[in-house]
Amino acid sequence: MSETCVVGKSAPRVDGPAKVSGKSQYGADIDIPGALFLKVLRSKTPHGMVKRIDVAEALKIPGVVRVFTHADVPGENSYGIIVKDQPALTDQVRFRGDALALVAAETEEAAKQALEVIKVEIEELPPLYDVWSAMAEKAQAIHAKGNILTVSRVKKGDAAAALRTAAVVVSRRYTTQRVEHSYIETEAGVAYMDNGILVIKAGTQNPHYDRRDVSRVLGLPMHKVRIIQAATGGGFGGKLDISVQCFLGLAALKLGRPVRMVYDRRESIAATGKRHPFLVEYTSAADREGKLLAVKAKIIGDTGAYASYGPATLNRAAVHATGPYEVPNVDIEALCVYTNNPFSGAMRGFGTPQMAFAAESQMDLLAQELELTPLEIRRRNVLRPGSLTATGQRLDHSVGISATLEAAWEKAGRVMPGLGGEVK
Amino acid sequence: MKKRGYGIGSMWYGIGSTAATNPSGAFVDFLDDGTAIVMSGCADIGQGSTTVLAQIAAETLGVGLEDVVVITADTGMTPDSGPSSASRQTYISGNAVRLAAEKAREQVIAKAAEMLDLDPGEIRLRDGQVWYEEEPAGKTMIEVIAQCRGEGILTLGHGTFNPATTKLDPATGQGVPYATYAFATQIAEVEVDTETGIVEVKKIVAAHDVGAAVNPQNVEGQIEGGCSMGVGYALLEEVVVDGGEIKNPGLSSYLIPTALDMPEVFPMIVEAQEPSGPYGAKGVGEPALVPTAAAIANAVADALGIRLYDLPLTPERIVAAIKAAASSQHE
Repeated sequence: MSETCVVGKSAPRVDGPAKVSGKSQYGADIDIPGALFLKVLRSKTPHGMVKRIDVAEALKIPGVVRVFTHADVPGENSYGIIVKDQPALTDQVRFRGDALALVAAETEEAAKQALEVIKVEIEELPPLYDVWSAMAEKAQAIHAKGNILTVSRVKKGDAAAALRTAAVVVSRRYTTQRVEHSYIETEAGVAYMDNGILVIKAGTQNPHYDRRDVSRVLGLPMHKVRIIQAATGGGFGGKLDISVQCFLGLAALKLGRPVRMVYDRRESIAATGKRHPFLVEYTSAADREGKLLAVKAKIIGDTGAYASYGPATLNRAAVHATGPYEVPNVDIEALCVYTNNPFSGAMRGFGTPQMAFAAESQMDLLAQELELTPLEIRRRNVLRPGSLTATGQRLDHSVGISATLEAAWEKAGRVMPGLGGEVK
Repeated sequence: MKKRGYGIGSMWYGIGSTAATNPSGAFVDFLDDGTAIVMSGCADIGQGSTTVLAQIAAETLGVGLEDVVVITADTGMTPDSGPSSASRQTYISGNAVRLAAEKAREQVIAKAAEMLDLDPGEIRLRDGQVWYEEEPAGKTMIEVIAQCRGEGILTLGHGTFNPATTKLDPATGQGVPYATYAFATQIAEVEVDTETGIVEVKKIVAAHDVGAAVNPQNVEGQIEGGCSMGVGYALLEEVVVDGGEIKNPGLSSYLIPTALDMPEVFPMIVEAQEPSGPYGAKGVGEPALVPTAAAIANAVADALGIRLYDLPLTPERIVAAIKAAASSQHE
């Protein structure tokens, strides 16, 4: 009776038949007769104050129903899962891609034409494109509280003392790049009013968060907003943020008509979050037997114009900076910094793939110094039941890192004949 | 010349949001005919969470997978299950569904115990039957649910689960940021063309401790997908930004791996059961990708005897590193 019947079996996907037969309704597939098409005018200026938006010419185009700007946002014009710093339609530009105006039109063509003739006057501010100039003392603040958004620290033991006395110390500087999620489906959805309730159907990774911020931006009570996740073609963190939801909601609410919108690939890449580029200064120390004594790291992540999941990404990077190893002395500092670059947010791993690149390179460098194999140095340091993590958490159970190391090694020995029984 | 190399990447990954409450809720309605509806806010974004939640509900209720329908991610119908992020849905929403199903099941068991005059602690539901001490006890679940309905009892359950974490000390980061961690080791085999700088990833062995695999094929799918994303991260992908502007905002200029770039992947499931997980499960969504680029970078360093410190490991960077190493040898 103890054996499970359904759990542990490779049951076919319940959503499989609809997806492989093309019947699943993704955001762009939902066809509502009479729906208006929405398009967003995005800033080509990286940093500045919006002085005037002239929509008169746009409204003359046949089929254009309405052009919305920041002045039309009925609630709090700011959203964000962690920091409410991103306007739905902005009067202050912080990156090339900020939303300035939203066009609703009878046809997609008319909406596109309208974008061409909206006149925007922006008083430009000097842009900050790298974390160093953004962190400089006299740097123009991109947001009111300054450009260093968060500093996460993990400190245990006495890393400085351990580094002074360790047999081997390795210091290196690593950089990682900005990455796009590249999900198959771009952002898309529809919205309509249903008996006084605003209904938004869109691809999303977090419908209940969407409800909170749509309700906030539109000034509606939460029970009058209903978010229904449309079939979603991948997310990888990129669909955790608000994208089309507030635009759809604003237009449907104000016009009382169904609306639809789809980002093309260019807009999807330009206007949504990226994986944070990291700069990591990493120092590791070990004794002669290859036991890790200390890890000291400084991590700087460029979160671009908006916080999105930046604070969570840098915090997770700090917490995971040592890799899956027991390290008695730890000194980690991770900074999340605003710039006028496209914003960075959640992406599969939240800062840990960046840190794995640095931490695992360091392990191999230490091994080299100590004339140990990469396998052996890992064997000597992996977390085990009873280990303390960098944050002082005792791991009591389900600590399978050693098992994965041995299983992978054993398998690699069989399927990679060139390995010769040992990684150099 | 083509040089071969091997590299290890290991990782750990805390399941759920870092040092933050991140609860999930679920409802289960156990229906008259022994089928069930599960309501969960969990958004399936292609990772397969709806299937996993259906399996957990079916297992808990003692019915077949075909007897469960999961309604998801509709704020008008389903409770908040938090984001599909942080590799959290199997562990956290899986637990919420398990708890909701247990609540519904408890009522059926209580009624069965009363009808059969048996100890409810010894009763199990399985294959649509009421079981007592390893044998069918002579009542079907449908009969028991019918009795419940006759007495005006709806067999509904709700469950919520919030992982046991603490806040972190702001100065030292000390605390319990996650209730549990996934672990993994990947080993990559690469071939580097020293003239062109092109890296070909030949094979990846990927061993992942997921606690317990609710759906092994789905876990393997996540691992293979993670490896493909990791190959892109290690070798190909970079959003080029100049003057605040993205210079490659399209898939013709922003290159991601195709089937031709994919190594042979050997996914391995390691099960270090997590007692607080649903049927021992933790998660795999992000861990699948986390160590891949690290393993590839170590393999490239092994192949060349030269280490690169900047991702991605483009042919240009590799050729430049080889030239720099050669010229420093001459000096």
